[in-house]
Amino acid sequence: MLNSLNIGNEIIAGCKDVFSTMLMVDLEPGEVVVQQKVDIKSNITSMIGLGGGLKGLLAVHCPQTVATHITSTFLGMDVDEIDDDVKDAIGEIANMVAGNLKISCASADVNIELAIPTSIVGDSFYVSGNAQSTRLVVPFFMEQDCFWIELMYVLNS
Amino acid sequence: MGKNVLLVDDSSTMRKIVGRSLRQAGIEFDNIFEAADGLEALEVLEKEKVDIVLSDINMPNMDGIAFLREKATRDAIKNIPVLMISTETGDDIIGEAKSLGALGAIKKPFTPDKVNEVLGPLL
Repeated sequence: MLNSLNIGNEIIAGCKDVFSTMLMVDLEPGEVVVQQKVDIKSNITSMIGLGGGLKGLLAVHCPQTVATHITSTFLGMDVDEIDDDVKDAIGEIANMVAGNLKISCASADVNIELAIPTSIVGDSFYVSGNAQSTRLVVPFFMEQDCFWIELMYVLNS
Repeated sequence: MGKNVLLVDDSSTMRKIVGRSLRQAGIEFDNIFEAADGLEALEVLEKEKVDIVLSDINMPNMDGIAFLREKATRDAIKNIPVLMISTETGDDIIGEAKSLGALGAIKKPFTPDKVNEVLGPLL
């Protein structure tokens, strides 16, 4: 059962795994915020839909400094502006973090299906979910700035 | 004659990362072909000499499982080996991929060492 998992801790572990393995970056996670408004300063958001036993979405919100740094490191070249490469790179981060969450949930007999990531560029929007959904936000700190991972979900009984 | 590889992933970033990981792992290919989904991959396989395919599973248009299924029906390309590189590593989906001819899977995220460990013995 999903109750046996601490979803916030699983997101932290999964995200740290992605960054240490693919980017050689040791992330510093902040406090997990559940069901409270969080002031997110983002210029690009990549979202991936979740289905199956846990329905909702996982979003990665990044300011431009973080998004371009991640993309530069991935590609081994300087990236200064949010372009198609940045949208693609942050989408892959969302994909891999969601993949790790899927593995964690499978260990608790909850099978998640993953959609294909979608990226949105802009800073004047917020993500709204089902009124019954649980909303959880985790900030992560790296040298350049902070970024956030947000999970909104309902359990599919 | 050297070997050629086909990288199949809807993320151009991930294709570049895989290509770089191959080089970092000391695995040299004469040509690295790329495709963004299973449909493009089939087109490349019909036109080019490819020795091994590294393919994602979750992709638009034709995903990795549908790609394996279709490839298995085409005599000219059905024996080209395929290794999956994906966030999808559950026994069910990897089992299905293997039943359709995939040799194994590498989980994203991965290191060059992991790529070498899995891919090296297959070359």
